[in-house]
Amino acid sequence: MWLSVPLRSLWRNRRRTILSIAVVSLGTAVSLIVLGFVEDSRGQIQQTTVAEYGNLQIASADLWNETSDDYEYLIPPETLEKVEQLLTVDPAYVGRTARLQFPGLLASGSRTQVVQAVAIEPGNGVLDSSSSIISGRDLAPEDTAAVLIGRSLADRLSLDVGDPLIFTLTTAAGAYNATPLIVTGIYRFQSEDAELRTIFLPLVFGQLLFGTSGVDRVVVGLSDLAKTDGARNRIQAGLDGSGIALEVKTWYELSPFYEQLSGFFDALFGFLSLAVTVLVFFIILQVLTLSFLERTREIGTLRALGTTQGEVFRMFFVESAWLALLGALVGVVGGVLFSIAFNAVGIEWRPPGTIDPVTFSIVITPMTVVPPFVVGLVATLISGLFPSIRTSRIRVVDALRVE
Amino acid sequence: MGDEGGFCHERGGNTLETRALSKTYKLGAEDVHALCGVNFAAQQGDFVVVNGPSGSGKTTFLNLLSVIDRPTEGEVLIHGEPTSKKSERQLAMLRRSTIGLVFQTFNLVPVLSAAENVEYPLLLQQLPKPERRTRVAAMLEEVGLADMTRRRPNELSGGQRQRVAVARALVSGPNIVLADEPTANLDSETGGRVMALLQRLNEEHCVTFVVVTHDPAVSAYAQRKIRILDGKLSEEAVDVAVGSAS
Repeated sequence: MWLSVPLRSLWRNRRRTILSIAVVSLGTAVSLIVLGFVEDSRGQIQQTTVAEYGNLQIASADLWNETSDDYEYLIPPETLEKVEQLLTVDPAYVGRTARLQFPGLLASGSRTQVVQAVAIEPGNGVLDSSSSIISGRDLAPEDTAAVLIGRSLADRLSLDVGDPLIFTLTTAAGAYNATPLIVTGIYRFQSEDAELRTIFLPLVFGQLLFGTSGVDRVVVGLSDLAKTDGARNRIQAGLDGSGIALEVKTWYELSPFYEQLSGFFDALFGFLSLAVTVLVFFIILQVLTLSFLERTREIGTLRALGTTQGEVFRMFFVESAWLALLGALVGVVGGVLFSIAFNAVGIEWRPPGTIDPVTFSIVITPMTVVPPFVVGLVATLISGLFPSIRTSRIRVVDALRVE
Repeated sequence: MGDEGGFCHERGGNTLETRALSKTYKLGAEDVHALCGVNFAAQQGDFVVVNGPSGSGKTTFLNLLSVIDRPTEGEVLIHGEPTSKKSERQLAMLRRSTIGLVFQTFNLVPVLSAAENVEYPLLLQQLPKPERRTRVAAMLEEVGLADMTRRRPNELSGGQRQRVAVARALVSGPNIVLADEPTANLDSETGGRVMALLQRLNEEHCVTFVVVTHDPAVSAYAQRKIRILDGKLSEEAVDVAVGSAS
């Protein structure tokens, strides 16, 4: 009866109950939708970031901290070999690729563009760039004077696949160098700036141009994103133990943009949860206070019959708990159904600083469903607490006098 | 409960007693003395009718007897035990174990059926479900509502509601039943039936009844008549025809 009496009271005041459930469920559903969108955006950015940086990168602290005036941070082949041996024994390791980056000037006719040349190992699956190619082909291991350029750079310099370019650079030893290049492919990134300033060369050719046999970093691919931190710690310990002065950084440490955005998303959802909690709290507080006030005489009767204050509190708090449970459940179901329908429509939008639109979708996972459910539940329970306490403390004679 | 069937012949110490009971209300700057030094005692099986005009202090007296209100001065003793120092929880436990209440406006819980309303005091006593069901069925049978167990209060007439309230007051086997104007919202015929029921239950169960009323017809059922006027009690003589009113 302690459970059924509150349920029947809710049923008796159907209009008020429906209003309360609507308020709680709306708050829960809005939280669920926003969190689902936030998680989708976070997931997309994670994917893009990992595609760009790999799971881990290993390089000299001088490179990370930009504390070297020359190229002492370059990793010689013998060190690279030791690093590879360490990597292959890690359980999360899937593959690795080496990179060498250096600045240069790209010229096409009278037009020039300062770029960052990224020398990569063509055909290495760790950072597969083939899906980004929108014209021409990806770099091949046997390529020499070949280059991949971004879509924005191609537009800026009016270039197409097969067009020649001149690339000028300063070598590791400080000498000037220049080479003709042929555009083998045009890639696209999300960021217009990255498309404009990044070109890709084959690693061996890049080393030849730059005058080094070393690389500046090793990019590591892992079997699972969730294993990033564990793998970083193990590999770093291995490097330290082997006396190799290199530092491991994770994909999220390498992308300050991701860290900032992730923090922003957390703050956004935190603020929204707080707003929903406050809104639900005050509306339900008002509704329950009125509802309980209307039943003052009934409460007086129950108390006169020997119901203790604690038992009255329990009865009315259980009523709030039913509202909380029903409201949060309806909110979750409504939010999930809305998300499914929304995802089916496939609305697109263009995030700031990006070129291509992305599909605006709402992720539905336990991680996006449970927190809004808890927010709706807790907000309603808290709002039910005060009127339940007040109701239980009514003086019996005063309650019985109420008409 | 006491004896099953027949008049109650058990008499012992006082079931219910008040000593110098006073209740003063503050009305703005003015003190209103609702009860002034009332001494009263009822033994087990007494059927006491307290009458008096409106505003004489009848309901205040009943509220103090039922320990839902506290006196300004004096003491209410139930089975000889003082109540003034008891906590709210102790008073609630005392009400649930010892006192049955019948209200003028029935005060049934609207969301519960007739049977569930009657069952409520047994639920407070944490009796097992089979025993609750048996006692509820017996009590509703006794008040003539065996075929209306599932009806909600709004599906019952005034007389039926008051009989449910009487069943609720008696089902847990209290020693004392306090009724506040139990016939005030009933027509005279139904009121008569309810009073006859109270009288029968008093006789059969040997329960102490204190009935507050301003209805002279109710006084006809009294073994003892108390008049209350300006917050003071006086015992009145009872007709020899007591018990024949039904």
